[in-house]
Amino acid sequence: MPSPEPTPQPEESPPLMQRLFDNVFLLLALGLVIMFVVYTGWGMWEILSMPQGTLP
Amino acid sequence: MSAPALPSPFRTCVFTGRRIHKDAEALVKANAVVAVVALLIGAIAALLLVLTRWQAVHLLPADWYYRILGVHGMNMLIFFIIYFEMAVLWFASTALLNARPAAPRLGWVSFGLMSVGALIVEWMQWSGKADVLFTSYPPLKAHPLFYLGIILFAVGALIMVGQFFATLVIAKREKTYEGSLPLVVYGAVTAAIIAVITLLHGAMIYIPTFLWSIGVIESVDPQIYRMIWWGLGHSSQQINVAAMVAVWYMLAALTVGGVVLNEKVSRSAFVLYVLFISMASAHHLLVDPGFGPAWKIVNTSYFMYMAVLASMIHGFTVPAGMELGMRLRGYTQGLFGWLRRAPWGDPGFSGMVFSVVVFGFVGGITGVTIGTEQINIIAHNTMRIPGHFHATVVSGTAMAFMAATYYLIPLVFRRKVAFWAAARWQPYLFALGMLLLSMGMTFAGSFGVPRRHWDISFSQAPFSVQFDPAVDLVLAVMGIGGIMAVTGALIFIAIAVKSVFFGEPLGEVVRGVAVAGIPQGLTHPPVHAANVDEINERLHRESSRWTGPTPGTMALVAVFLVAFVVYYFTNWKLLSVLWKVG
Repeated sequence: MPSPEPTPQPEESPPLMQRLFDNVFLLLALGLVIMFVVYTGWGMWEILSMPQGTLP
Repeated sequence: MSAPALPSPFRTCVFTGRRIHKDAEALVKANAVVAVVALLIGAIAALLLVLTRWQAVHLLPADWYYRILGVHGMNMLIFFIIYFEMAVLWFASTALLNARPAAPRLGWVSFGLMSVGALIVEWMQWSGKADVLFTSYPPLKAHPLFYLGIILFAVGALIMVGQFFATLVIAKREKTYEGSLPLVVYGAVTAAIIAVITLLHGAMIYIPTFLWSIGVIESVDPQIYRMIWWGLGHSSQQINVAAMVAVWYMLAALTVGGVVLNEKVSRSAFVLYVLFISMASAHHLLVDPGFGPAWKIVNTSYFMYMAVLASMIHGFTVPAGMELGMRLRGYTQGLFGWLRRAPWGDPGFSGMVFSVVVFGFVGGITGVTIGTEQINIIAHNTMRIPGHFHATVVSGTAMAFMAATYYLIPLVFRRKVAFWAAARWQPYLFALGMLLLSMGMTFAGSFGVPRRHWDISFSQAPFSVQFDPAVDLVLAVMGIGGIMAVTGALIFIAIAVKSVFFGEPLGEVVRGVAVAGIPQGLTHPPVHAANVDEINERLHRESSRWTGPTPGTMALVAVFLVAFVVYYFTNWKLLSVLWKVG
C-alpha cells in the first residue's frame, strides 16, 4: 500500500512585533508623526503662542 | 536564429558569492568618490581652523576664519557624510539583498542634483558670498544661490532615499531575500527614515529662507528658523549614527565573525532610533527663551533617553557579539584573550573598535551630560559642544566610514588597498589625534572658552577677559591633536584615491593566503571552530549568572558606566558651584 502523501504544514505567521518591525513604511510614518508632533508642531505652537513683548 | 544573449547586469563577488548589480555598483562608487573629495576639502579647512583656534598660532584673519568655518561645516557635516550614506544605502539595498536597483538612471539624476547643489554652495562659500556659517541663522543673509544650492542637494538626496525604499520593495517582491531584512540593511533603513525626517525639515526652512533672500517674503522669524533648522542640522547627524551602527555590525561580522546576540534586541534599538532620536535637535535650543521647560525636557530627556538607551544597547551588543564570535572561534582564554588575539593590524577592525570606544566613552557621555537642561547652561556655546560632536561625528562616524572603506575598496572597486603599511596604522593616528582634539576642546570649553570665536584674547574689545592659564595648554593639546587627525585623514584620502584610480587589480584571491592590500577578513574569512556547539554549550554552562558568556564586554561596560556616572555628577557639582545658594 503506498504511503500517504505528507500534508503540507501551513506556514506559521511571524509574531506581531516582528511583522510591525518589518513594516518599513509603518516605521517611516511613525518616525515622521512623532517628530512632527512632539518637536516641530509643539515647538511651533510654543513660539506662536508666546505673548507679544511690550517695550518699556 | 536565436537573438544574442544580453550581458547580465549582475556580476558575482569573488569574496562573498553575492550578485552585485553593475548599475548600483557604479552609483556606490560615484557617491563614495565624491564623499572623499568633500572630506579632502573639509580636512584642509579643519587644519586652517585648528591653527587659528590654537591661540598661540592664530593663523587666519577674522573674515577667512568665519568663511572657512562655514566651508568646514558644510563639507564635513553635510557633503562628506551624506554622499557616503548614499553609497551605504545603494550598497545595502542591492549588494546585501542580491537585488536590482530601482530606476538607476534616476539615481544619476539625483546624484547630479546633489553635485550641482554642492558645487554652487562651494562657489558661494569660497567667494565670500555666504559668510553665514553652517547654521546660516537669520538675520545673516547669504547670496540666494547658496540657499538654492542646499535645496538642490537636499532634493537630490531625498530622491535617492526614495529609490532606496523602492529598491527594498523590489527586493521583497522579487523574493531576493527571505524573512526579515538582514540587520545591517535594517540599520540602513533606520538611517533612511531619519534622512527623510531631516531633509523635510531642510526643505521646510531653506525654501522660505531662499524666498527671503530674493525678496519675495519680508522676513524669516529667527526663533522659528532655529527650531526647524536644527531639525535638519542635528538630525542629519543622527542619520550618521544609524549608518555608523549598521557599519559596526557589518565590520564586526566581516573582521572577526561577530555574531548578533539577539536580533530582537538589536532591531528594537534601531526602532527606538527611528521613533526618538531626531528630537535631540532640541539640545540646541535649551537656552532659547521661546520654549517652555516642558517642551525642552520632553524632547531632550524623556524621549531622547530612549535613543540613548538604543545607543547603549548597540554599544553593548556590537562588542559582545565580537567577543562571542571570537570565543566561538576558539579564543576562549581569560577575560580579554579574545581581544588580545583580535586582528589589530586590520584597519577595518581597528578603525571600527576605535569608532565604538570613542563614540561611546567620549561622544556619548558628554552628549547626554551637556544635553541635560540644567547642565546645558554651563556648556552652551562653549567649546565643549564641538568637543562632543567631533567625538561622535568624526571619531565615531567618519572613523567607521574609513574602516568600512578598507573593505569596500576590494569588495566594490575590486582593487587592492594601496599603501597597505600606512593603511594599517592610519586608524591609530586618526583616532588618537581626534581623541586629543575632542578632549582639548572639551576642557577648553569647561574653562568657558567660547565656540565659533576667532580671537579669545578679545584683543580689540573695549573690555578685558582673562581665561585660566590652563586654557593655553588644552588649546595646544587640541592643536596637536588636530594636526595629527588631519594628517591621518589626508593619509586615508591618499590611500583611497590611489587605490580607486591607480590601484592594483585584485587578481586571483586564494582563501587562507594573506595578501598585502586585502584585509584579513576577506582572505581569511572568520569561521567557527569545528567544535563550536561544544564551546557554545560550555560558555553558557560555565559563565557567571551576572556576566553571561561575554564577561570581557561586561567588564568594559562596567568601566563605561562608572565613567558615565562620575562625569555626569561632576557636572552637577560644577553647576552647584556656579550657582551657589545662600
